[in-house]
Amino acid sequence: MTAVENPAPQQEDSPTYRPSTIQRLLPFAVAAVVPFILGSTTENVNFWWKALITVVVLAVVARMAWVWTPRGELTHREDMRLWRTPSDRSWAAVTTFGLLVLPFILASDFTPPMDFPWATWFAVVNLVLIFAMGAAAFNLLVGYSGQISLAHVAFLALGSIVGGIVGVQWSGGNMWVALPAAALAGAVVGAISGLPALRLKHLYLLLATFGFHFVMMLVWREYLQEYFGFVGIRFKGENSPRIASWLHWLPGIDPDDNGEFIITGQFRWYWVLMPITVLSILFMVNVVRTREGRAFAAVRDRDVSASLLGINVARSKLLAFALSSAVVSMSGVLASFYIGSRGEDSFNVQTVLNYAIIIVVGGFSSIQGAIFGSAFFWFLPEWFKWAREELWIVRDIDFLSDYPSEIDLAIKGFLVVIILMFKPDGLAGLWKDVKGWIGRSLARRGP
Amino acid sequence: MSDEILSFENLTVQFGGVRACDAIDGHVKRGSLFALIGPNGAGKTTLVNAISGVYKPLPGAQVQFHPAGKPTEDLLSYRPFQIARLGVARTFQNLGLFMGENVLTNLLLGRYIHEHTRLIEGGLFTRRAVKRELAARQAIERVVDLLDLGAFKREPVGDLPYGVQKRVEFGRVLAMEPELLMLDEPMAGMSVDEKQDMIRYIYAAQDELDMTVFLIEHDMSVVMSIADHVMVLDFGQKIAEGTPAEMQQDERVIAAYLGTEMAEN
Repeated sequence: MTAVENPAPQQEDSPTYRPSTIQRLLPFAVAAVVPFILGSTTENVNFWWKALITVVVLAVVARMAWVWTPRGELTHREDMRLWRTPSDRSWAAVTTFGLLVLPFILASDFTPPMDFPWATWFAVVNLVLIFAMGAAAFNLLVGYSGQISLAHVAFLALGSIVGGIVGVQWSGGNMWVALPAAALAGAVVGAISGLPALRLKHLYLLLATFGFHFVMMLVWREYLQEYFGFVGIRFKGENSPRIASWLHWLPGIDPDDNGEFIITGQFRWYWVLMPITVLSILFMVNVVRTREGRAFAAVRDRDVSASLLGINVARSKLLAFALSSAVVSMSGVLASFYIGSRGEDSFNVQTVLNYAIIIVVGGFSSIQGAIFGSAFFWFLPEWFKWAREELWIVRDIDFLSDYPSEIDLAIKGFLVVIILMFKPDGLAGLWKDVKGWIGRSLARRGP
Repeated sequence: MSDEILSFENLTVQFGGVRACDAIDGHVKRGSLFALIGPNGAGKTTLVNAISGVYKPLPGAQVQFHPAGKPTEDLLSYRPFQIARLGVARTFQNLGLFMGENVLTNLLLGRYIHEHTRLIEGGLFTRRAVKRELAARQAIERVVDLLDLGAFKREPVGDLPYGVQKRVEFGRVLAMEPELLMLDEPMAGMSVDEKQDMIRYIYAAQDELDMTVFLIEHDMSVVMSIADHVMVLDFGQKIAEGTPAEMQQDERVIAAYLGTEMAEN
């Protein structure tokens, strides 16, 4: 009847199968519990035993999630799940396990051969988390909603200002109040910064938002001079974030000698940053797959067409600005408290470009791509440094160690070009290919 | 008048010195299939754009929409997205689809005005958001079944053949459940088979879903077989109006389509 033959749906011939609720949740439960069991047995078990257990559990969890996935014709509810296919669910379980086991691995006193930069990894991982959150929000605005903005760093600064006012001046190190306050301020100021988007597009919008960047820098400097002088704001020491005493009963929280639980050190920070980053990225992914997020994409692709579907284009654009800015401001607060101090030179135009590199390398149209992008951005210099110092042959080339930062930059730039040329949808696209390839070769091997 | 769903009077749209539509009057009966025909550049799409709010007509024009059981609305005082929410939906001649998104997303966008999930609810994926999303998907399901789009649901629209894309766009306006459906050359560039399918779908929209259809069409033969009422435009002027049979006899219409010389012979 129709002129086109239907392409064969992938799951048509597979028999209908429904796992029970327990089967559906079990792999994730195992992935969530085992890391803590492994982590709590610090002394008495050999590292290599734990590594072996980790690998085995990883495989088991992946397999369980793979097998216990609904198959056959999916109901709408099943079709709406974030992790729908066996491969999605498998990777989700592995990621859950990985995210929870990672800090324990990094905190262990394991030393890899050839002085592989293990010790600095933890700091890098935490920075990746902060940057991934900000970059994901940036990408939601620029990549997904199509509103080119350079005001990103302005909202990091806004986060620091709110962190300074609410977190330091008012409450002496209460990051937990500063975070929602920054989200609120970011949403309001973000919507205002988005006003030019109602009239301008593309390059013109870019310039208008860049103007906003400089306005915000002015506000930041004025604020610093007024209250803190040129030394900047100290977010550490007496201003360090802490867990309130009424929460000390929580598992894993044993207060220090002075009866306080200060969030300091990479391990503790990881447990603050990781959940916040994961939850905010999940939030944005959920937005993208529901009503308002679909409207963002519609406005990006064809705004006339979108408005004839009943979408208020102006409102939708401002909403995208507000959401993105709110999350970026929160990441600004986290960065301020994590890094510990913010001064006049903490924010510059270079940072905007760094974020742009992160989202372009990560994958323009994928929110999760920001994670890959910021990992690329932060891990590469570490590996270059290691290669210069330790790697056979490379360490003997004086030229490389004479101009370290220039060569880092050159290689990084070269890699960015390579990625853009061969994989325009970035590392997220590459990851998708790899995932598909692994999934297919596993599916071919057996049921 | 209660049996009218749309009436426009003295509708003039001017681009610089060109009058794309010149003082056009028209009345669309509820439940009918109103066809607007005319040669290339006659101003058909401009007229639809003016009604759906994309272009602003010159002062003095009147466009009134009479929703069933609700007070009459003056469409000229609304912006396009508000007009869409009142129940006037339209398709585009060269497709207003979002090519990078899959068919499902495109169709769900048609439910935008009926779904009321807020941004934060959607982000938290609350129970209510899930319920509404499910309701939207169930509403889509009817359209998918009607238009045989089941096999393409997860395909990016840009990868689909043209005929299917046209169907997806038609499905999207059906999902909006408008009272007045304006179709801008839904059959342009289609094969004969596809055209027949599309005619079937348009009939289904009119009869089963109780929509009034405002059809722009280039192809006279199609219009003559399905329209209840035909309006003919040429160079921005309304040159004739009436039943399809009357239009086939009308000299000015024949002249507009075939050229004056042919008509004289």
